[in-house]
Amino acid sequence: MSNIPTKSILVICPSDIVLTGLFEILKGSQAEEIIQLHRGDEIFDYPALAGHFLVIASPEEIEKSSALIRKILSTDGSVQFMNLQLEPVAVNTNQAVNLFDSPALICYKANEIMNSFPANQSKDTNAELTRRETEVLKLLTKGYSNKEIADQLFVSTHTVISHRKNISEKTGIKSASGMTMYAILKKIIDVNDIDTADLI
Amino acid sequence: MELFNENNKLASVIHKDHSLLPVINRLGIKLGFGDKTIRNICEEKGIDLNFFVETINVFHYEAYFPEKRLLDFSVSMVIEYLLKTHKYYIEYLIPENDRLIELFLAANPAESAENDLVRRFYTKFKDEFVIHMNFEERVMFPYILELNGAILNPDLRDAFIKKYPGYSIEGYEKEHSNMDDKMDDLKNIIIKYLPPNYDQNRGNAFLFNLFMFDKDLKNHSRIEDHILIPKVKQLEKVLMSHE
Ligand SMILES: [Fe+2]
Ligand SMILES: [Fe+2]
Repeated sequence: MSNIPTKSILVICPSDIVLTGLFEILKGSQAEEIIQLHRGDEIFDYPALAGHFLVIASPEEIEKSSALIRKILSTDGSVQFMNLQLEPVAVNTNQAVNLFDSPALICYKANEIMNSFPANQSKDTNAELTRRETEVLKLLTKGYSNKEIADQLFVSTHTVISHRKNISEKTGIKSASGMTMYAILKKIIDVNDIDTADLI
Repeated sequence: MELFNENNKLASVIHKDHSLLPVINRLGIKLGFGDKTIRNICEEKGIDLNFFVETINVFHYEAYFPEKRLLDFSVSMVIEYLLKTHKYYIEYLIPENDRLIELFLAANPAESAENDLVRRFYTKFKDEFVIHMNFEERVMFPYILELNGAILNPDLRDAFIKKYPGYSIEGYEKEHSNMDDKMDDLKNIIIKYLPPNYDQNRGNAFLFNLFMFDKDLKNHSRIEDHILIPKVKQLEKVLMSHE
């Protein structure tokens, strides 16, 4: 799984013609994903969405469901709203998409907002393990529990758990046996030093 | 992401997402469906149209999971689908994975220590997984089906309660996160940490299969955790209210 938060667009409109039209047009924007909803509360059908979102909907729809949408979507990213104007009134704002805007202009407006999304605070996933983390990893591969490791290193169990979490984030490996494999392949420990029948 | 609907031609659905092939097989459809729409095919084969459409959409797009509607499907329909999925794992996906990992490892006999590790890790994951499915098929699913039977037919209730005093799915529920973690670890170990001199094509072939397995397995676990188990809890409450 990639750690870069995705940028997605959520288009809400009861009209399939408008939805499908915007969907096709917005394929030309930088959004990685475009989701179409007829009503704001259909967001309940998408409990696993993650990343940053630009929501395009009528002012009435935004008024009605922005709180709900924020609640469901903003667990790990930001949510921005843009008005969808279906009347051919002359507007000149970057905060609204008009039915008669050209495809290029629509994508431009959408990109402007998506550019404002906070850049990925890159947790350095490729970083080498620190000395302490390596020590914790070595003890883990010997089958010690968090508590035992804490005692040996004179730190709290809480600290050991947070080291483990960092190891998982840096290596992408979550299970104890996976960590043992990693340690062997990276030559952090020697395969002869551990009981592989038990630990892998 | 576009979701599919009953008016789509099944052929164009498969062109857009061929990872759905095993899913439509499980739902009772074989290749050779010409230009028929999903609706045509489901009517012809007597397949529940809503179940078909929701199942392929949930598989097609991970973020989509309309829990409320999914809870409307009957327990027996969901279990039948899960059983067919197990059968697909046991009869095809696991043996295929075994074959591909062996081909992959055999291409690089010099790294025998590393090969052994990978093999051992994979085998451990696989054993755990097979035991898990066995448990579901022999203990958990029968319990659920009997519970469902007792709800549908009041005559069966006494016998059910006698057989399962203090009936509760909580005693049967098994974790999926362990297996999901190991699957992710296996992918990462092969992608990120394997020594460089291995056979690329065989490595890719194994990984393709593993990714397919991973996607299928996570979908399967999600159906069990978020549809089957909540449904069973509902049924238990219904039965309790009749006692
Ligand atoms: Fe299962
Ligand atoms: Fe399961």
